Amino acid sequence: MGLIAKLLRKNTSPARLIGFALSNFIGLLIVGGAVMFYFDSRGVWDDDDSVINTDYLVVNKKVTSASTLGDRVSTRFSDDDMADIKAQPWVRRVGEFSSSDFRVYASVSQGGRGMETALFFESVPDSFVDVPLADWRFDPDSNIVPVMIPKDYLALYNFGFAGSAGLPQLSEQLISGIPLRLYMRSEDGSRTLQMEGRIAGFSNRLNTVLVPDGFMKYANSMLGSGTPDAPSRLIIDVSSPGDVAIADYLSSHGLEVSGDKSASSAAYILKLVVGIVLAVGAVITLLSLFVLMLSVSLLMEKNRSVIHRLLMLGAPLRKASAPYCAMIWIGCGAAWILSVVALVLLRSLYAGALEGLGVSSGGLLWGIGVTTLLALCVIVVNIVAVGGKIKSAWGLRISHV
Amino acid sequence: MIQRIEEITLESLLPRVFAREELTYSQVWRRKLTFRRGCSYLVESASGGGKSSLAAFIMGARRDYEGRILFDGRAASSFSIADWQELRRAHVAYLPQELALFPELSAIDNILLKGEICGEIDLPRVEAWMERLGITARRDYPAGKLSIGQQQRVALIRSLCQPFDFILLDEPVSHLDEANNRIAAGIVEEEAHRQGAGIITFSVGNPLLIDNPEKLTL
Repeated sequence: MGLIAKLLRKNTSPARLIGFALSNFIGLLIVGGAVMFYFDSRGVWDDDDSVINTDYLVVNKKVTSASTLGDRVSTRFSDDDMADIKAQPWVRRVGEFSSSDFRVYASVSQGGRGMETALFFESVPDSFVDVPLADWRFDPDSNIVPVMIPKDYLALYNFGFAGSAGLPQLSEQLISGIPLRLYMRSEDGSRTLQMEGRIAGFSNRLNTVLVPDGFMKYANSMLGSGTPDAPSRLIIDVSSPGDVAIADYLSSHGLEVSGDKSASSAAYILKLVVGIVLAVGAVITLLSLFVLMLSVSLLMEKNRSVIHRLLMLGAPLRKASAPYCAMIWIGCGAAWILSVVALVLLRSLYAGALEGLGVSSGGLLWGIGVTTLLALCVIVVNIVAVGGKIKSAWGLRISHV
Repeated sequence: MIQRIEEITLESLLPRVFAREELTYSQVWRRKLTFRRGCSYLVESASGGGKSSLAAFIMGARRDYEGRILFDGRAASSFSIADWQELRRAHVAYLPQELALFPELSAIDNILLKGEICGEIDLPRVEAWMERLGITARRDYPAGKLSIGQQQRVALIRSLCQPFDFILLDEPVSHLDEANNRIAAGIVEEEAHRQGAGIITFSVGNPLLIDNPEKLTL
């Protein structure tokens, strides 16, 4: 160690430096840990529905006894209802469900065995459906209709119906390849339409048989009574699915959310908890930054006259600040290394538990990345502070005339 | 930044504290005065005449003055911190009255420290100077435990251990007897001559006994 460094390190308190490194380590670990856990567990919370975005809620009015007795108007959304919903702050877009104003029968024939069922269709604006547009288009000339059915229907068939009826179980791929014969008829039976259906996707979140909006308009104009009903279901694109305001609004207006919304609520709570933990970690990191700044500043204040004398001998400012910068690098470096090691250990602790739930990778990288960034911030802020302190020592006046 | 400094010029210089006072006769304050490289100067003043202030102004340690200080025509007020540091390292050596030694370092370490700042130190020559000034026996004593006179000699040697165009010596021999004064003066003149430098020494009554300095009353 050079004589200059020896002079400048006078009055160094290892206890203060260790105190800083520990507090910085704790702060970095909490922030890094929260980020890491968030990214690692994303896969568990994220809805794996590839066709309908998790930010969409499907709502309908509660079915009451009155509606069963024939008052169908009570479950439909009036223009006023729509305007009120659109005015809510958490609403990005609202789409209406259109339902088929005609009868639908679908039949499948496979290996000589046939199956026929009465069906219904609904459609939402195409922009709400996350299927490539090419697969979700209806062309009147081609005679083929893309259809999306709930995953539950397939499960119902495979595990409930197929076994008892002695029918084979069907995979998603297989059923997508089976042609569906669709027979559509107007209420009075005067007009009919035959088409071929093709399963374009399965949805967890939409409890309906969905067809493209274009087909619905076409078929309703061909077979419908010509007076479309007001929609009884809406699809809403919301800004934050777990927001309490949404639940409050829905219950106070007698609305129900269809489909599984627990995942999005849990994701919201997870984000909230991660946010709180992040904030706590950030505060601890910030405090540790000030602890370091104060202790280095105190040390430099104690050594102020030494610094001034060295500068009067012509020592470059860089040389005078080097030992303090080294202290900052060592303190932060130690905290950073400890926190990276702790993150790796932490991850190995919970990785097993997440394994079964489908853990996403990359959390560790994110955690280490954020930790590194924070540690660098602490270093930069402190080194800038040291530079300012050295400059102020340079300007120190000799008191006597 | 600078090759060599040939002249240090003071233009109407006056410490700000003197601005409102009636000034007695002075050959320095409020005049134009030029120190030339290679020449020797003795600035004499009564206590409180502002000689340490003048040294601090020239070294850039203080700026509470009126008028201008020019290094080869370049105003000191335009210097950056880095300029000042280079000036102190390579052009103007300075022995402050308060010596500014590091009491916890030994005598020799105080001198070797200068090497970390200004470049290599010719140790045999340093040891020869210590021998001539009679402080060889105190070589490894902490500077803080030396007498003021011994400290003055250590600080004097330290001030010589750098390249310089001028050397400012503020009361360098106030605690030395005449014999040591003459030895110190001889060493300063030898080194200044070797480097082709100017000597500016300040005194309130016990001046460094260099040959025929130009005398200035502050």
